[in-house]
Amino acid sequence: MTQKISRRDFLKLAGVGAATTAVLTGCGPAAKFVTRQPYLKMPEYTYNGESTYYATTCRECAAACGLVVRTMQGRAIKVEGNKANPVNLGKTCARGQTTLQGLYNPDRVTAPTKQGRAKDLSGSAMNWDDAVATVSDILKKYKASEIAFLMGTAPDHLFDLATDLTGAMGASAPVRYGALSMFEGRATLAQAAQEMFGQPALPFFDLASADVVVSFGANFLETWVSPVAYTRGYSKLRKGHDRRRGLFFQFEARMSQTGSVADEWIALRPGTEGLVALALGKLVAEARGGSMPKAFASVNVNEAAEKAGVELEALHVIAEEFAKANAPLAIVGGPALAHSNGVETTKAVYALNAAFSSSFFLSPLAPGEDVYHRPASAQEMSEFVKKLESGAVKALFIHGVNPAFELPKSLGFEAALKNVETVISFATFPDETALLSDYIFPDHHALESFGYQRAYTGANASVLSGLQPAVTPFVDTKATADVLLAAAAQAGFPFPYADEFAFIQGKLQQFVPIAGGSFAAPEINAFTAFFQQFGGWWKQADLVAPTASNGAVNAPEAEFEEGEFFLIPFVSPTLGEAGANKPWLQETADPTTTVMWNTWVEINPETAHELGVENDDVVKIVSAAGEVEASVYLYPAIRPDVIAIPFGQGHTAYGQFAAGRGVNPADLFGAKFNAAGDLAYAGVKVRVEKTGKKQYLSRLESKIGVYGEGLGEEH
Amino acid sequence: MIQKVFKWLMSPLGRVALVIAALAIVSVAMWGIAYVQSPPAQPIDFPHQRHAANQVQCLYCHPGANRGASSGLPTPSKCWGCHQQLSITQTSKLLGPLRDAIANGTPLQWVPVAQVPDFVQYNHRPHLAAGLSCENCHGDVASLLHAYENPQVMNMGWCLACHREKSAGNPELEKKLLDCATCHY
Amino acid sequence: MTTIDLNMVGAKGALVEAAEGKWGMVIDQDLCTGCQACVTACAMENNIAFVGEEDAGYGRSMHWIRIERFWEGHYPHVKMTHYQPMLCQQCGKAPCEPVCPAFATVHSQSEQVNVQVYNRCVGTRYCGNNCPYQVRSFNWFDYNDERINKAIATLKHQFNPDVTVRRRGIMEKCSFCIQRIHKAQDKAKSEGREVADGEFTTACAQACPADAIVFGRVDNPESLVSQLMAEGHGVQHLSELGTLPRVTYLVGGQ
Repeated sequence: MTQKISRRDFLKLAGVGAATTAVLTGCGPAAKFVTRQPYLKMPEYTYNGESTYYATTCRECAAACGLVVRTMQGRAIKVEGNKANPVNLGKTCARGQTTLQGLYNPDRVTAPTKQGRAKDLSGSAMNWDDAVATVSDILKKYKASEIAFLMGTAPDHLFDLATDLTGAMGASAPVRYGALSMFEGRATLAQAAQEMFGQPALPFFDLASADVVVSFGANFLETWVSPVAYTRGYSKLRKGHDRRRGLFFQFEARMSQTGSVADEWIALRPGTEGLVALALGKLVAEARGGSMPKAFASVNVNEAAEKAGVELEALHVIAEEFAKANAPLAIVGGPALAHSNGVETTKAVYALNAAFSSSFFLSPLAPGEDVYHRPASAQEMSEFVKKLESGAVKALFIHGVNPAFELPKSLGFEAALKNVETVISFATFPDETALLSDYIFPDHHALESFGYQRAYTGANASVLSGLQPAVTPFVDTKATADVLLAAAAQAGFPFPYADEFAFIQGKLQQFVPIAGGSFAAPEINAFTAFFQQFGGWWKQADLVAPTASNGAVNAPEAEFEEGEFFLIPFVSPTLGEAGANKPWLQETADPTTTVMWNTWVEINPETAHELGVENDDVVKIVSAAGEVEASVYLYPAIRPDVIAIPFGQGHTAYGQFAAGRGVNPADLFGAKFNAAGDLAYAGVKVRVEKTGKKQYLSRLESKIGVYGEGLGEEH
Repeated sequence: MIQKVFKWLMSPLGRVALVIAALAIVSVAMWGIAYVQSPPAQPIDFPHQRHAANQVQCLYCHPGANRGASSGLPTPSKCWGCHQQLSITQTSKLLGPLRDAIANGTPLQWVPVAQVPDFVQYNHRPHLAAGLSCENCHGDVASLLHAYENPQVMNMGWCLACHREKSAGNPELEKKLLDCATCHY
Repeated sequence: MTTIDLNMVGAKGALVEAAEGKWGMVIDQDLCTGCQACVTACAMENNIAFVGEEDAGYGRSMHWIRIERFWEGHYPHVKMTHYQPMLCQQCGKAPCEPVCPAFATVHSQSEQVNVQVYNRCVGTRYCGNNCPYQVRSFNWFDYNDERINKAIATLKHQFNPDVTVRRRGIMEKCSFCIQRIHKAQDKAKSEGREVADGEFTTACAQACPADAIVFGRVDNPESLVSQLMAEGHGVQHLSELGTLPRVTYLVGGQ
């Protein structure tokens, strides 16, 4: 034996060592064997290794898009659009796709919790029997007039249940609200329709049948009312009729994602949308000849163009296209509605449609609806908050809405909540409102729930979209409908339904005898089975262009607060109102800026230069109501006197992906309302202050910047 | 410095240290090998041999094999379908977990032993459709007491050897069966 | 009719495919609204990891498809170019393939797409460096490992079992949803027929609310993809490099 270790031996030893390391650390799966947990009993229609599909409805917003959920061995793998549903015809949006990351979110409320307004996650778990007893005690303890329900815009079956329950108890009807419905200006749209057409209906802009579309601030391709339906319509518009591509023009002060696909994007002064619509109407009427509609008679086109800061020539070009179009259409929405003159602006655009368009309709009512029941406007919410503050409400039930985040701080919800003796939240996620509650009794996630949702617009059909569970509950949740029904039974209210499913069947009963629906069934059990199989029930509706009273329409000037810059808050196209807790939505780039995971402030590069700020500089935005700090994004398509901030971030709770990220521009809103009661948030003006801090935004686009300014020389 | 270390290693103490180190390395390696070779604990020490001998077809319990990717593991209710008719089911100690599963409504947590790594997308159906039988890959189950006793190591060389053999002389099939994307994606 | 020489694989294999591909995609940029539905649909279908704000800021996000947009002009005559969904172009003659020392990115002879073989990849990132479309993403960390990213412990229940969950140190990219291709072909074969046009599609095309993305067989003149390509106003990005992209962009409109 030699006394030396040769190099060869050393390598051999090293080799053994390496092999050992490889075996132990695993060049391959860390654990060789994985335990499988098969079903106790295989559900019907389920086969090993094969997917089962369930038709249900998306609840990420209230548009009622149909989904088909692909499940495998009891887990939801993928959502796809339901091709049968007339609203989305098999398509989905980004938020709908990530609904699965809500279902399997690590931050769900995992059990009924005695929260005790702890403001953090320190609440203690309860069992469901005690939870039901708690609700039942409240129903018994307080007078009916002291109980209030605050609900979100989805799901509709639970709202119906709460309506029936409060009716049976003699309590006031549940109040519905959602930040999206505030940003959509639903009250304004309905009010204008009421004044012009005698019906408080939502409009249905049928893009698919139009060939020239002019939009006044409507962000209909993003989050507005029914974005998937409108995107489908937009696609048809562009594909054109007889292969003639439809045209699309957008008037707005800040280029939205919708505006970015327009053939011409025209910046106007915020609040002048109605004036421009009337001026456009006058030009079109002149170009077409014939009698001048009363609505446009008194407007001075040159003056309007000057007030709006729009080039007269651009107005003429658009009017010309609009006049020679076969099926012109004007849309109004977004910040245009959120001015003090929002109702008049809407009426001006409706007048354009009433005079020239054959693609403008009032939305067909959902099955079983007698009139469009819109969610509460911000003004109604403000009155509701005042009621809470007065102590008249002793017990408040909250479901499907997060008012501590979704209501502007200026309405004082958080402070008013202190005067409510008992607050019960049915939140699936530990959002801001849930943490301020006495109890959290978590509802199932949408993909674990039964239910139905009405489509309020987006299809030329009357649509009731059905929900059914695609998977069994992932954590210890209970359907809120079942909690309420059980508690009402314990409290001794005569309420005829045994559980949620029986309630839904009871509500579907009325549609069984109706002929001409998407399917027919002789009796309710067969009807319910079809309802689940097809993902809902719908009936073709004959759309009739509404007849307008040929009255005069005014375009009063919008009122603004004192301040340096107009503020345009817009709902983040990717996050929506409640997407911030889904990591893939956070990592999905904003379409126009490509920013991920944070809030930014859009400033025109010229303005930024004057202010002495650059990309990623943190600025303080100050309004009369509050202030927020966020990083600057030099946005090339925004008026120099306007700054814009997306809504969707700025959570203080709502799980690890949302909490402590970005800011909420609603903190800047005052409490001024337009004539329909919608918040006039677009009337807010702000001041921009430098902070000297820098916070880099994560963008998908190159760091070089929009115009290559990062290259260090002029492009 | 290195000279010094080598010098020490050649001293008697150093040699003892070397031997100990070598032993440690070898024993750890042996343990590692034993660890990955030993069968996992199963809820029931399931005898495939006895079931196969009683003419229970493979596809009776693993019906997924000729439908799709996964052959699947039987649910306790499937076991119970036959076993409730056998008196031994009520008394056998081996079948205790099955009785419990049925009584308590808890699934049996089987551990599959015929596995391919995560990056292999294996599909049973085309293999059965091509005329292979279960025994071709899973061994002579009728004579093996346990499924893990299958002597066949399922690695890529073995897969490809068969794929080559089956596709020889057929360029279209060769293209498909020897393609990376057939199994890896 | 050219004869196919099966011995020509890898880099040389591209020559084989020069004449025609098999699967292809047409993206109508005039219809794209930039809504990002394809991006999230792709992430959900293909188990794509999210990397978090900091890593995303370093450009490490793992999108297999992204929506590009560029600006023209200055305010007020500023214009955004058409949104441009950018994904692996499944080049017939892919620049990523010849540079891989491990043969981990190879051309599938049967499906005529560019495949990434995860278990072969050793993470040299040469392919990403050589890709003119910048559509390959690298796993800098074990983003999808629950021991490292705690949220995965529950989020993993959503993972698609038909797609490998990638680990640290390997490259990944769009696969044209090859798992769906296989599934459709397997189903068709079990029923003794060919896959019909439109019978299945990729996750991005399926989600797209504007129908801007169409997927299908480019070697079948009857397919919708072939018909759209035949319209003549399609462009293939950087085709001057000789990459033979299988994605055709229609730039209609203005």
